[in-house]
Amino acid sequence: MNQDNKSPYWQVLPAAIALAGIIVYIFATFGPPASSSGFVSTLKGFLNYFAPDYISNKEHYLMIPGPGSWLMSFVIGMAIGGFIGGRTFSKKVEDVPKVWVDRFGDSRPKRYAATFLGGFLILFSSRMAGGCTLGLFISGSTQLALSGIYFGAVIFAAAMLTSRLVYGQQK
Amino acid sequence: MFFLVFFQVFFFGFIIQRIGATNPHKMAKAHLMKDPAIPQFMLLAIVFSAIGLFGLQATGIDKTVILPTSLVATSLAAIIFGMGWGLAGYCPGTCWAAMGEGRMDAVFAFFGGLLGTAIFAHFHEWIIPRLYMPTNIGRLTLADIAGNKYIGLIILLILFIGGVWTINKYWGHEKN
Repeated sequence: MNQDNKSPYWQVLPAAIALAGIIVYIFATFGPPASSSGFVSTLKGFLNYFAPDYISNKEHYLMIPGPGSWLMSFVIGMAIGGFIGGRTFSKKVEDVPKVWVDRFGDSRPKRYAATFLGGFLILFSSRMAGGCTLGLFISGSTQLALSGIYFGAVIFAAAMLTSRLVYGQQK
Repeated sequence: MFFLVFFQVFFFGFIIQRIGATNPHKMAKAHLMKDPAIPQFMLLAIVFSAIGLFGLQATGIDKTVILPTSLVATSLAAIIFGMGWGLAGYCPGTCWAAMGEGRMDAVFAFFGGLLGTAIFAHFHEWIIPRLYMPTNIGRLTLADIAGNKYIGLIILLILFIGGVWTINKYWGHEKN
């Protein structure tokens, strides 16, 4: 919490209170917020055109609503929030993050291949567990759910270990 | 309804951008125990949300959905998730916001995510009965374990505020 005042990023405490206000508001209006379900809704929308017979008997597409639901507006709102956040921010975005460049160089294909694989892993596993950082860990823990607290503890531990293997010991 | 969701979630994406959760450099530094901001932000957001939801439920509005814990599937999924998160620096939610922010590597994470979703959905009928259901211990909460929702909430607050304290103590304080 000892952030430099010159950092363009917000302080932790007020940002956490602001986010909590929105989370409680979403709980009051729709239910637990979730974002990995938005991936299922997106796919379901596409497959509805190309393979309607396929999704009509697949359990996973039956249990998540299609792109007309609030889950879809949620993730699109998330992207728009990111867009406006990025446009009004003093720091430029990089396609290859600095910590990655220091370790693997600035090759874009290498970085894109890694995030593609990472994206695959996080969504495959989120769908297996029933939610992601938001839908299972944050929403779950807010409701005191054991599944959320446990999932959160294990993802942090696994991510900390993985980042050490990927980026090596940093001084 | 669309505008309502739009309005509330616009701020969600905006806030996570402003705390740096859409920046994979900052996320990697959090995982490497160099920058405490993101994990502390997450834990504190849960602390305040849990208190807020507790109050909300007292007014009779209750739209909670408790997900079950499966000892095998939840553990395995969490380990795979952590590997992907540590590698890419994105989680499913921040990936959407980071795409909006204009990060090209997030676009690749997004397409990887769509493929991961499609593969899981395809094998759902095979995976869930084998890995998820046999060790499903149900929709447990801290309130069930403590036997009382007030004590359940207090346990959560102690755990998570303890987490914030631990991170403050053991993480470096790099400026990113």
